[in-house]
Amino acid sequence: MKERFVLMKRVVFLLFVCCLFFSTSAWAASGPTAEIEKVVDSVMKVLNRTDLDYAAKREKVSGMVQKFINIDSISQRTLGVHWKRASPEQQDRFSWLFVQILENIYLNRIEDYSGGTVDYLSERVKGDKAIVDTVFVSEKVEIPVQYKMVQQQGVWQIYDVVIENVSLVRNYRSSYGSIVSSEGLEGLFAKLESKLAEPAGSGKKE
Amino acid sequence: MRSALKLALLIALLVFCSLPAYAAETEAKQSTVKTDDFDAAFDDDFDDFDDEFSDSPRPLISDPLEGWNRGVFWVNDKFYFYLAKPIVRVYRVVPRPVRTSVGNFFSNLATPVRAVNALLQLKIKDTGTELGRFLVNTTVGLAGFFDPAKSELGWEKKQEDFGQTLGYYGVGTGWYLVLPVFGPSSVRDGVGLVGDYFVVDPLSYADLTDAEYFGIKSFEYVNSLSLDPDTYEGIKRDALDPYLFIRAAYVQHRLAKINK
Repeated sequence: MKERFVLMKRVVFLLFVCCLFFSTSAWAASGPTAEIEKVVDSVMKVLNRTDLDYAAKREKVSGMVQKFINIDSISQRTLGVHWKRASPEQQDRFSWLFVQILENIYLNRIEDYSGGTVDYLSERVKGDKAIVDTVFVSEKVEIPVQYKMVQQQGVWQIYDVVIENVSLVRNYRSSYGSIVSSEGLEGLFAKLESKLAEPAGSGKKE
Repeated sequence: MRSALKLALLIALLVFCSLPAYAAETEAKQSTVKTDDFDAAFDDDFDDFDDEFSDSPRPLISDPLEGWNRGVFWVNDKFYFYLAKPIVRVYRVVPRPVRTSVGNFFSNLATPVRAVNALLQLKIKDTGTELGRFLVNTTVGLAGFFDPAKSELGWEKKQEDFGQTLGYYGVGTGWYLVLPVFGPSSVRDGVGLVGDYFVVDPLSYADLTDAEYFGIKSFEYVNSLSLDPDTYEGIKRDALDPYLFIRAAYVQHRLAKINK
């Protein structure tokens, strides 16, 4: 009887260790920094190719970033108090427009990011939130970029990007908030739509 | 002309003194205690996570002069595209390393501004770094055209100005202000700018005519603009309303600098 008990204890312990091992390794493979590395690496690989021109790079990168962003969270937090007051249709419409705006902004920056590298400085995790500090280094600039992430259903996704201490979400919340206050949500949608209708950047810069 | 600007400083100071009471209220929440504690720093970075759904989200900055500011913004926009940018475009034929060196030279010349403000904020180590940088770059760096203090010794430049010094002592941002040519600012930082330019900046003590002084300042401006990767064009292209975007970015940027 006593022997059985010891055996049980060993098995339980072994199971426990296995669980621990698998869970930590699973966590490490999809930790916040690993997620950022995944998206940055895949984008950088395209941007640093010299055989592609601006338009080709733009096309390849398009859509790459979206799945790493927590679209719901970023849209909600950008509209802030106006999100709660919006109808579900308006919420969906905003998310849909805003994702395209974000992607356009990112694509318009392609020229700036080509030929650079990203250094990962630190990762801080607390509960379901994490902050990953990186710095983008190129010949011309050195820009600190901080990614704020949230974990949902085991997946880490970006909900804010802080560039040189300027939070993207806070910036858009402030700007869009002013527009909604003076022109209403429909006014904001009209502005987002006309922005999206503008021709894409030529990529011609110094 | 320069004495007129010094007079403007006095007037601005007077206006300014009547504002801190208001500004202190809007910023009370943001002047969090500086600490190295991990949790505190972490929470600080997340301070707005739950805050933003509150029914009365606090505005980043108060802007009662928006109409006037937008006017100046419009003028600056035209100034940028029709005067500054064409000059910069021509000036960019000068090779980039040369322009970088010219930028280093002006930056080295402005060391007193950074050193004095670091000292005023009792950042003794930063003051020492600035003075050390000045010594090294003025001598080994050939009158400041090169930056061996950073490239060889790893001494990073400490960006300090009088606006930050005022902020350090708890003076609130005050109203948002768009200054001609200089662009986004606030009542506090505008006062700081005038202080830095006409009280601390060694160039204001040099024996120069107004024409020479503004000539040098214009050259410095064109040179620094030539090194900028067309930031403003990017913002204009991306933002729904560049005025609002720059306002929000400016405030966040300054707050982060002051809390550093």
